Amino acid sequence: MKKVLTAVLGFFAVLFVSYGVRWLAFPGGIAPDFGFQLGDGLGLSSLLGDLGAFFLTLGLCLAAALLTGRRLWFYPPAMLLLFAALGRTLAWLLHGAAFAVPMIVVELLVGGLILLGARTLAERD
Amino acid sequence: MRHLCWIFRSLSLAGALLLGAAVAVAVEGPRPNIVFVLADDVGFTDIEPYGSEIRTPTLRALAEEGLRFSNFHTAANCAPSRAMLLTGVNNHLAGVPNIPELLTPVQRQAENYQGVLSHRVVTVASLLEASGYHTYLAGKWHLGSAPDQRPSARGFQRTFALMDSGADNWEQRPYLAIYDEANWFADGERTSLPEDFYSSEFLVDKTLEFIEDGLGDGQPFFAYLPFQAVHLPVQAPREYTERYLGTYDGGWDALRETRREGAQAWGVIPPEAPMVRMESTADWDALDGERQRFEAKRMAVYAGMLEAMDFHLGRLVAFLKARGLYENTIFVFTSDNGPEMRGPSNPHGVIASRMAADLGYDQSYERLGERGSYNSISPSFASAAASPFAYYKFHVGEGGMRVPLIITNVPGQARGAVVEAFSWATDIAPTLLAAAGVSPPEGRFGGRPVLPMSGKNLLPVLRGEASAAYGAEESIGYELTGHGVLFQGAYKAQRHAPPVGEGRWALYNIAQDPGETKDLSAKEPERLARMVAAYEAFEASHGVQPLPSGYSQVGQLASNLFVSRLQEPLLTVLLTALVLLAAAGWLRRGRSA
Repeated sequence: MKKVLTAVLGFFAVLFVSYGVRWLAFPGGIAPDFGFQLGDGLGLSSLLGDLGAFFLTLGLCLAAALLTGRRLWFYPPAMLLLFAALGRTLAWLLHGAAFAVPMIVVELLVGGLILLGARTLAERD
Repeated sequence: MRHLCWIFRSLSLAGALLLGAAVAVAVEGPRPNIVFVLADDVGFTDIEPYGSEIRTPTLRALAEEGLRFSNFHTAANCAPSRAMLLTGVNNHLAGVPNIPELLTPVQRQAENYQGVLSHRVVTVASLLEASGYHTYLAGKWHLGSAPDQRPSARGFQRTFALMDSGADNWEQRPYLAIYDEANWFADGERTSLPEDFYSSEFLVDKTLEFIEDGLGDGQPFFAYLPFQAVHLPVQAPREYTERYLGTYDGGWDALRETRREGAQAWGVIPPEAPMVRMESTADWDALDGERQRFEAKRMAVYAGMLEAMDFHLGRLVAFLKARGLYENTIFVFTSDNGPEMRGPSNPHGVIASRMAADLGYDQSYERLGERGSYNSISPSFASAAASPFAYYKFHVGEGGMRVPLIITNVPGQARGAVVEAFSWATDIAPTLLAAAGVSPPEGRFGGRPVLPMSGKNLLPVLRGEASAAYGAEESIGYELTGHGVLFQGAYKAQRHAPPVGEGRWALYNIAQDPGETKDLSAKEPERLARMVAAYEAFEASHGVQPLPSGYSQVGQLASNLFVSRLQEPLLTVLLTALVLLAAAGWLRRGRSA
């Protein structure tokens, strides 16, 4: 069970780092997957900087959690994903955004798995 | 209203003067409208007035009311021809020595090898616009898709343009794996196609809309109508295809012979002009009945696509006649190059089937050419479309470069005759400018230096005032991926690079022997030497870049496809691994510390 969970979370760690790399190196390829059109100027700067940072932090913290076994590393990626799911829901409720069910489900699921990992995989605080 | 018109004209004139280039010169009577129709990959004998069995009554009528050129040449592939047709400047100087899809990374380092229209040249649309014309484009552009390269930035006021080398004719769908989508733009902005899209019908509808919208102010218009027909994928409405079922059951050799006889009857090739049989032409009799039936339908769709194009062009002619505009509208019809031979010999072979399936296309007999079906003609029927010439698109034989040209309604021009004099793609732009009374650019346009047009004004030939535009000793050079050509008078020196040829120069008298059957290089070595020297001077003066050894067009396309498709994923994997390894190293160092 622990091995399966480690493998699943390891897969997501690599995936999130690759997303961060793509946002920084090849934004034109990944932007449409997230429903963005690349703008220019400050908007482009914020989009690439913030989303690159989001995914790199997500992936690297998760990788660090799996490599070190320290519980503390599990919480930032779980928080990022769960807040992202919350943000999407609020965006739908308050601002007329699309209700992005598949993305919310993935964020909740992976965020939950990371919290499960914090309980079962962490060897020290 | 008259005041408004006067103000508009004054502003137009002021604008033209401020731009400082397009100077109007005297033209008797009202300035003519211009419709420039460019078919895609249409072969020399593909239309009725050049000997075809395909019914093109609109083009036949235009030919009977105007002149047909029997010795007109373009580049052997798409974008280079378009660059020359629209600017009057040689394609190597205009930034388009080849389509970008076939350029090597080393070639791309040269300024004139970007595969997009250079800002060192000015389009005929910009010049006409600056002199007060309305300028419209509906159809394929393929000369650059960046904002400053789009037709809306190159002189066209209203546009509905395809940026790619081709696309599906029924829906917004790419036809090659190098494109993520079919890139259509309206007035410079990305757009989508309507549900009921069929390319020829839609592009004519757009042209009619543009013309109708601009009629109010009395200014003339220039409408550029570059059809998708008959570029890959070859697609036609079923009712058009069905008219040709059975027509091609005799096979490609029979069609090639029939076309030659038709071209002779229409007077566009000399009587008894010999022709060769291309090595790429398959043995029709060796095919089983099922394959013959399938091949015949492939060609029937091709014919149907051309007839559909002609029908919709006929709607444009009828529209202009109904509004009393036809008599004062110059029509120019031509093709960008000879017929496409890249259609697979066997579309149900492993690679061809895989490619079609990867793009989500069906290739069944029943639906051939209809929505969702990918169709083409094989090299064998392409050779018939180029009859009686040798070779086809991408090759510098006459089949790739000699195409129909019809010019109608130029005031004072002869009617119904055939012009046998040599003419070249760069001649169209200066001819249109002369007919519109607009001077070609001299040094600068729009505040920047531009190259002069090298093409000739064909009006004296059209009006019978001159028998030829080029002198017997004048040279026209052309290069495509190592294949070289020099035209001089009735002669053509030609070199096919490997693997098509051996890189050896041949010499033909293309006035007497347009089929290029008798190599005169041994008989007239001095003439050939002079022409080869002139060609080498052309290469030097036009910045022709060498090719890497072993270059092939198909190989380069595959390489560019590989790079465009796999560069991003491979680099992503590499960078991701580097980031993770760096993070792991940092953690390990922290632990040991």
